[in-house]
Amino acid sequence: MGDIETFAGDLQTFASTALVTSEADTLRNYAVDGILPRFVVTPTNVEQVGHIVALANQHGLSLLARGGGSRMSVGGLPEQIDVLLETNRLTRILEHEAPDLTCHVEAGLTMAALQARLAQKGQWLALDPPDAAQATIGGLLASNASGPKRLRYGSARDLVIGLHVVQANGELSRSGGRVVKNVAGYDLNKLYIGSLGTLGIIVDANFKLHPLPIAERTLLLTFTNAGDAMHMVIALLGSLLTPSAIELIDSGAASDMSDFFGVHLPTNGYTLAVNFEGGAVTIDRQLDETRQLARKHAALMVDDLAGESQSHFWEAIREHTQGSVTCKVAILVSQVAPYLQTVEQVCRRHDLEAAILAHAGNGILFIELRPSDATPRLIEAIAELRSYAKEARGSLIVERCPVDLKRRINVWGEPGSDFFLMQRLKNQFDPNGTFVKGRFVGGL
Amino acid sequence: MSITALPPTTTPLFERISESKKEDVVRDLSALLGAKYVLHTSYDLMLYEYDASIDRCTPDIVVMPASTEDVAAIVKIAASYNTPVVPRGAGTGLSGGAIPVYGGIVIVFTRMNRILEIDYDNLRAVVQPGLVNLHLSNALNPQGFYYVPDPSSQRSCTIGGNAGENAGGPHTLIYGVTTNHVLGLEIVTPEGKIVQVGGWTQDTPGYDLTGLLIGSEGTLCIVTKIIVRIVHMPEAVKTMVAVFDTMDDASNTVSEIIASGVIPAAIEMMDQMILQAVEADTHAGYPMDAAAVLLMEAEGLREGVAEQVEQIVAVCNKYHARAVRIAANETERQLFWAGRKNAFGAVGRISPEFYVQDGVVPRTRLPYVLRRVSEICASYGLRVGNVFHAGDGNLHPLILFDSHIPGEIERVRKAGHEILEVCAEAGGTITGEHGVGIEKQEEMALIFNEVDLRVMQQVRQAWNPHQLFNPGKLFPMPGRCADIKQL
Repeated sequence: MGDIETFAGDLQTFASTALVTSEADTLRNYAVDGILPRFVVTPTNVEQVGHIVALANQHGLSLLARGGGSRMSVGGLPEQIDVLLETNRLTRILEHEAPDLTCHVEAGLTMAALQARLAQKGQWLALDPPDAAQATIGGLLASNASGPKRLRYGSARDLVIGLHVVQANGELSRSGGRVVKNVAGYDLNKLYIGSLGTLGIIVDANFKLHPLPIAERTLLLTFTNAGDAMHMVIALLGSLLTPSAIELIDSGAASDMSDFFGVHLPTNGYTLAVNFEGGAVTIDRQLDETRQLARKHAALMVDDLAGESQSHFWEAIREHTQGSVTCKVAILVSQVAPYLQTVEQVCRRHDLEAAILAHAGNGILFIELRPSDATPRLIEAIAELRSYAKEARGSLIVERCPVDLKRRINVWGEPGSDFFLMQRLKNQFDPNGTFVKGRFVGGL
Repeated sequence: MSITALPPTTTPLFERISESKKEDVVRDLSALLGAKYVLHTSYDLMLYEYDASIDRCTPDIVVMPASTEDVAAIVKIAASYNTPVVPRGAGTGLSGGAIPVYGGIVIVFTRMNRILEIDYDNLRAVVQPGLVNLHLSNALNPQGFYYVPDPSSQRSCTIGGNAGENAGGPHTLIYGVTTNHVLGLEIVTPEGKIVQVGGWTQDTPGYDLTGLLIGSEGTLCIVTKIIVRIVHMPEAVKTMVAVFDTMDDASNTVSEIIASGVIPAAIEMMDQMILQAVEADTHAGYPMDAAAVLLMEAEGLREGVAEQVEQIVAVCNKYHARAVRIAANETERQLFWAGRKNAFGAVGRISPEFYVQDGVVPRTRLPYVLRRVSEICASYGLRVGNVFHAGDGNLHPLILFDSHIPGEIERVRKAGHEILEVCAEAGGTITGEHGVGIEKQEEMALIFNEVDLRVMQQVRQAWNPHQLFNPGKLFPMPGRCADIKQL
């Protein structure tokens, strides 16, 4: 256990304007899977982040960074958290070079605030994860959050062009830069994205931006079975039509969306939402040809969304990817239909219910399992679903679940044969174990 | 002396292998691969002493494995003799990545050049590192698909080399570079272990090792298998050539096209010197008296392409384009591109040697930086031509020289360094797609400070602590191979 008293004293000296609290009531709001931090420190600038991390390192304390807190459920149970470093005061937009389609922003800025600013110049950061109002840039990158439009734009790894990261010894280091093409040195951006703060703390980021689409439309199609729906998806992906998002919604998720978001979809069979962006003439043709393709795949037309109803629909989709027990499965697109059948069988066997949303064109499924307190049954079901995912060349991680369940499962699954290389990286980047352990793959 | 300044010579990382030790290594390797696939005479090795950059250094042994297991066994043999290993694709690299600066073993992948699997439903292909880039698209085209990254050397460069350098190409403007198209790798570590990283699916749990390894220039691992994304060929492609009387008009056109939110599939620029060389070589129909030409391509659905072409032409006209010509058919389109893709070779007609830089700048800074490039070269009395990926802000100034003129190499080196300084000051980087290799080791300090470089070195320390793989690259290093040849 580190020397917490001298740490607090030193903080006064080196980061006097940082907010520090150790009040029990406040700390409770920052608990991660029931583990309370001993201190919450909120730096007001990047330099202070460096000082705080350096002090934690020197005093042998463990430190965890937090943005808006919307993704703290991701990962395994943390070991001790001495210092929780909150980044939400680092909110500056350092640059928006609109004619270059790039920007440079601090990590504590929320996604919504950034998008609002970029929209003034007709641009956006092409990431559409849930919780834009709460989630910060740093948290989204550290947890590699994404949304339905990753089909067209890719995920954080395809959009980040530079990062500043505070290392475990408190030093600030840069990777990448502010230009869209750059192969100077190792591409450490990729390493930090999704590393859940185990290698360093992202304090600012440079992004490649996209123009806001001129027009956008969404077709809703219903299929009586998953096989037809996924054949349609494969046909779409192999066509010229280039949809921006393809979301598959099962009956469980459809009734949730009706209950919680007032979005009414058929509650039997599978709904496919196909989104197109671009010029009006092009979209008309894309919709037309998608309808023709849909008829060949025995689909029923449900709706053609635009404007408000379209935004509301996609909002509901994004938010629905987070429930109480949420498994994120990544498999091959061709395996999605059989996998959905497997989920049904597994649920029947263990007397569970599932609600499933999928970024169908990416082979990424969010499976909500219920009831969330059926711990022993959930454990078995998750193990089975994971082994089927592996057979389909994929993986299953549990993105959210009650602490009871988390204590008894490995949310990431067993690490692969490349784990020793990840361990070596962690040892190099954080030799003293300053960044809180336990949450990342293999307990890193 | 070499075109790149030699770093201060202290103790080299590796001693040159002795003749007797070399005999032992050759014996072990021959037992593994068969004598036919182990080259070791100076006659046979000469071909492998250089790539498309300027430095050279002869390896001691060249091996041609047939399988991943062969590669792993080679690495183990190399480790047991403490002999460095350098992987090599087609040797088209422009930064010296494949040059064995301490000699040792060069692994050549010509026998590992197969497409192992193509899965059209899931839009994936699995290939061996020695596969020539264009051969993958050629195999996919009949089904209507292709592999996007298209370096100008794509008729000869390999996908393994592309992965090592994170290669780009003209069409990476909207589609991204190699790293955006690779999902997983099979690699061999310096211990000779075969490891799978990433995979067929997205978001594999754990650190994004695939992302880290792409562009690591052979300094972390040896890639033996690559899982790539394939995409549908576009329905319509329109290729345009816009002719300008000033460089400023051409670069302002680029920056306005990007700023307006129209992102074409490619925007390439060629200046007068390059046009003259290209015309003499390819007869593509480029005007030889123009100050600059933009070669642009719009692709996608017919309707979208028509719209884009209209917008692009409008911007060109706003900036006083003398003419905008749209390729009438595929033959003409191929001719336009042949001119561009053969440009480096064509320059051989007007200069015995050239030195190409690869800086990137924010696109809005192109007019300023291009002016500075010509000023710098003029101040050293050197001729320069520009042919580059303007849409990405990725410059390729070709400085022409003749190494027989005393002092010329030194002037070229200084001019190159100053150009990269300007790129760095303009908020850019020193290399957009060619890599650091041995050529830009010193220039790393223009964009990264000591802490940044130390953090990167931690990665090499984690993976390749004794620098068995591609030693003496990427970072400023003490000591060099004693027989790096003089020009």
